[in-house]
Amino acid sequence: MRYPEVRQQNRKMLLLLITGLVLTLTLMSLPLCSFDVGVYTKKSGNTFVGDEKYQAARKEVEAIAEEYRGQGLDVEIHEDVLERVNSKGKTTSLVTFTVSQTFSRNVFSFIGCGFVSSAAAAILLGLMILAAVLTVLGLSGTEDVLHRYLDGRTRTLRSLAVTALVMAVCLVPVFILSNNVVFSRRLSLYSAELITEGREIFFSKLDRFFFDGGMGENIGDALQGLKLTASPLLWLMAATLFISLVAAVSLLRGEIRSGLLRGGLYVFVAVVCVITLYPYYVMTITAFRSNAETLDMYYLHMVPTKWIWSNLTDIIRRGVPRYLMNSLFVAGGATALAMLCGIPAAYAMARMNFRGKKAFLGFVIMSQMFSPVVLLIGISQLMNTLQLNNTLWGLMLINAAFNQAFAIWLLRGTFVSISSEMEQAAMIDGCGTVGALTRVLIPMAAPGIVTALIFVFINAWNEYTIATVLISTAQNRPITVGITQFSSFNMIEWQYMFAASLLATIPVVILFMSIEKHLTAGLTSGGVKG
Amino acid sequence: MSNGLNRTKWEPYVWLLPSLILIAVFVVFPILIVFKLSFSEISKAGVIGGFVGFDNYVEAVHLPAFKTVMLNTLWWVLSVVILSTVLGFIIAMVLNQKFRGRKIARSILVFPWATSLVIQASVWNYIIKYEYGSLNNVLLNLGVIQQAINWRSSYQIEFVWECWVGIFVTVPFVTFCVLSGLQSIDGSLYEAATMDGAGFWKKLRHITLPMVRPSLTVSTVLNIIYVFNSFPIVYTMTKGAPAHKTDTMITYLYMLSFYERKKGPATALSVIGFLILCVCAGIYMMTVMRKEEEQ
Repeated sequence: MRYPEVRQQNRKMLLLLITGLVLTLTLMSLPLCSFDVGVYTKKSGNTFVGDEKYQAARKEVEAIAEEYRGQGLDVEIHEDVLERVNSKGKTTSLVTFTVSQTFSRNVFSFIGCGFVSSAAAAILLGLMILAAVLTVLGLSGTEDVLHRYLDGRTRTLRSLAVTALVMAVCLVPVFILSNNVVFSRRLSLYSAELITEGREIFFSKLDRFFFDGGMGENIGDALQGLKLTASPLLWLMAATLFISLVAAVSLLRGEIRSGLLRGGLYVFVAVVCVITLYPYYVMTITAFRSNAETLDMYYLHMVPTKWIWSNLTDIIRRGVPRYLMNSLFVAGGATALAMLCGIPAAYAMARMNFRGKKAFLGFVIMSQMFSPVVLLIGISQLMNTLQLNNTLWGLMLINAAFNQAFAIWLLRGTFVSISSEMEQAAMIDGCGTVGALTRVLIPMAAPGIVTALIFVFINAWNEYTIATVLISTAQNRPITVGITQFSSFNMIEWQYMFAASLLATIPVVILFMSIEKHLTAGLTSGGVKG
Repeated sequence: MSNGLNRTKWEPYVWLLPSLILIAVFVVFPILIVFKLSFSEISKAGVIGGFVGFDNYVEAVHLPAFKTVMLNTLWWVLSVVILSTVLGFIIAMVLNQKFRGRKIARSILVFPWATSLVIQASVWNYIIKYEYGSLNNVLLNLGVIQQAINWRSSYQIEFVWECWVGIFVTVPFVTFCVLSGLQSIDGSLYEAATMDGAGFWKKLRHITLPMVRPSLTVSTVLNIIYVFNSFPIVYTMTKGAPAHKTDTMITYLYMLSFYERKKGPATALSVIGFLILCVCAGIYMMTVMRKEEEQ
């Protein structure tokens, strides 16, 4: 089936796509990035504009500017006048002369210069060409086919074009921001010699970019006052590329709305994920920085300048393995205890009828309402009486008790969802109730039991408050309390704190991921039925 | 549910006994201790004296920081619970769509839920440091800001940051609760509604919301309890400074009893907190029970 109106529509969209690309290319070739390079600065003494001192300084600067012009640079002289009142009450001026050159560059000129932004510009250009080629290929021979009837190959080509354009749109901010990083942050760090690694290479790249390699040794001084002014028009590139993207989506789907909604969805999910992962990124990179770097704003790098792996061995020396073992002991013991008490209780709740069942359920739910924190004083008193203060056993018992509710809740939900016929058969075959539970029900309910198990374990592992109150000696600290030892009143060793945090976090996050699906189902169904 | 076999009358209670003992000793007993202490005279050294009636309560209410702390607690619970419920609901709606990478997104969202609160609070504490914090670092590097911003210039702003961390760690729980509710909705309901010409908002109001209400109720009530009881965030980020202006009730009573040696008023505050929780729990139980009767 051939549809002439589809052909017309597709041609319009192709035209739109090409218009978008051409507009983008036009923007790319405009000199939208201007650099003010101060090659020489001189401050006059206290003068009045026009007096002798001023003239002398001016002459000196002009001579220098002439020298630069002799080297083939197109420099101008700027004056900055700062007026102030001296001790005698006279107004004098401090004149700052700058010999500077303004460079204008378009996006194309970045390509091949070896900066991050150059790579971004090159890929951007490549993606645009790719998108154009893919679109043309994807249209040839099928431009009058209704979208529903497109064959697989055409679909792939057109959707690849969409993908290329999406990536191109994303690269625009990457280009602009990385430009900023290169020409202000990195340059100022190198100029101030806060970092030295790769300085030579960086400056020779800049020399090539601005002066065709003509500055040689002096490049560092020449670029001291470099100022990048990127025109906001650069952001228009994202908009023009977006026009092309809309056209490409419409070529693929036949309508734009669903495609854009989808795009919005991805953007939303991406933003949520980035915000969620941000603290973990910070934790990870900080764990491998040197102490100086964690405390200094001028190490303005998104990753450590040098990865300090010895942080890990340092924290091992400072007792972190001991804390991890303590946590493992407390959490493991609490989990075992909570299960040993919880499984029979949940079994009784799920399978038996008795007086006070509702009351017990209410009792359990109520006990869940109170995190131990509000009862801290009572608990520490109780632990004193039982002589369990500052022991891991005490911590274990408390954790087990306060996780009872959740354990019973989750387990009861699992048991109820499993039919009791198998157990009855087992019991008729001569198994006791205990046998029916251990040999039949527990294997069948294994996923639910594992979920409850892991959940209790993680809760106990992450517990902090009770441990701070109950544990007073260093050797009994669980890891959550242990990491706070790296922060004292006058000094915080962030790198150790986060290295230890990393060790404490990774295993539980992995465990949690494995049960997430079962857990949510258990939580809500248990809650609703509860 | 009965399986028809004969059991002795006391058998179920044997099954319950271990659990009952555990809860009674380590949950109920401390409650009783706190109640008893709150009516007793306690010296600075912690020696427990005789019955003093409501003296401790009077002292607690007249503490200079009492009003601030109560208001803070209210703000803390309300802002964190409401905002994270709304955010979590929206995120759950999005994650309920089918798209590539959904599994990855779900796994990523698990992170804050599984991480210890004290660790998360420490990380955020570092992120918003003025002199060397990561937020300034990243924003400067991206060229979004030109100069470092003092993210914690006043205690009010610090308190807002604490609320933000609270929201950050609470959202995943809401999301997963709502998601499990959403996944139980029969797709044919939406199809029928679409056939009847219902738009997005109508479907949201008449199908989605009623169907996920049970999950939402559970997550909201549990969140009220968790957030009310939350200790590590405030304690790690500000320790209530300056002068208890950023304290919530829980951190305040901790400070009172373990730093300022005012165990008497601290126990009184504990009881007040306990009663507030009881009211929440009661409301929760009533809604759940009524729901069951309706069904």
